[in-house]
Amino acid sequence: MPCDDLPDDVKTLWKEAGTDRPMFSVDQLRNETERMQARRRRGYIVTGTCMAFFVAFYALTFFYVHNNLTHIGSTLSVLVCGYWLIHVLAERARVATDLGEIDGVRFYRAELERTRRWHRGLSWRLVLLALPLVLCDLGFAQFFAKFSPILTPLMWLTAASLLAALAFWAPLKHLKLARKYQDRIDALEAAARSSGQSDRKD
Amino acid sequence: MEPKADRSESQDELYQKVAEEYGAALARTAYAYEADPDLRRDLSQEIHLALWRSCGRFNGRCSLRTWVYRVAHNVATSHVVRQTRSKKSAPAFLTLEDAEVQASDENVEISVDRSQALERLFGLIQRLDPPDRQVILAYLEDLDADSIAEITGLSVANVWSKVHRIKDLLVRRFHRGARNAL
Repeated sequence: MPCDDLPDDVKTLWKEAGTDRPMFSVDQLRNETERMQARRRRGYIVTGTCMAFFVAFYALTFFYVHNNLTHIGSTLSVLVCGYWLIHVLAERARVATDLGEIDGVRFYRAELERTRRWHRGLSWRLVLLALPLVLCDLGFAQFFAKFSPILTPLMWLTAASLLAALAFWAPLKHLKLARKYQDRIDALEAAARSSGQSDRKD
Repeated sequence: MEPKADRSESQDELYQKVAEEYGAALARTAYAYEADPDLRRDLSQEIHLALWRSCGRFNGRCSLRTWVYRVAHNVATSHVVRQTRSKKSAPAFLTLEDAEVQASDENVEISVDRSQALERLFGLIQRLDPPDRQVILAYLEDLDADSIAEITGLSVANVWSKVHRIKDLLVRRFHRGARNAL
């Protein structure tokens, strides 16, 4: 089934493109691979440092701010940060299938599923993070009330903002995006089903 | 076991052969998946990088051509999915059915030059859903139905039906305009 039976020479037109193809030497590709690996390592270091900073901050909070809400909030925060760290390490350890081994439709579906999972996962991890942060903030509001009365409404405002952003706005946004990818997966499945039916008819 | 130096040498040789033989097709693939020139250059590099890495693992279970197209399409598909994730207002992909409906609604311009026709062809392909895009690209690269089925994972009958519709779509979109231009 070559496409030489196409009425116009779209094929010739098509072949005219790609004459200005970019060329990459093996050394260039090797260097780029090393740069990519270095970038990835830097990314993990930044993530790890952020996590360590959060853990250290909430650990210090636990010992220096004597308030029940802050104690519960900081303990939960450390646990959530630990969970995020494990999640990042598990993602890193995942072995990807070789791209030449997997066909196009299966790969596309896997990519859509991975993206959907990422949005869904992020939405509930943000909710998980919201609770301890809000508890800590409310604890701070109680604790600092005796030092400065102006800090209490400020802490309440921060808690309300955190609650709105992390427990409602961001998770809903990510759930909506997850829904978008689920719709695409459904469309792909529907197309596969209908083609399966037409195959049987043939 | 093959020594590491030999393996890397054969990987480099195989990559050079692939780049020589399929370089133009790979450039067209990048063009069909990315309209922005800077991002296209990045995508081309990503495709070549993935191919070079993959050459070290090529096991001959399918033909080299199938392997190359699979790697290129999969890298490009991943790029497209990533782009739709970062661009919040990214337009939805068209299915072949949508493209057929649009083609019947549009008035085909009588006179377009070759570069305009090519731009329009890429414009049409860039809006298609990745699986349909893979079929149309492989078809334009002169691959047979069995090879397209092997690359995409669709059944041969499904590939035939899609190719038939693609041909119909291309004829409706480009027949009159291209004839005047060529």
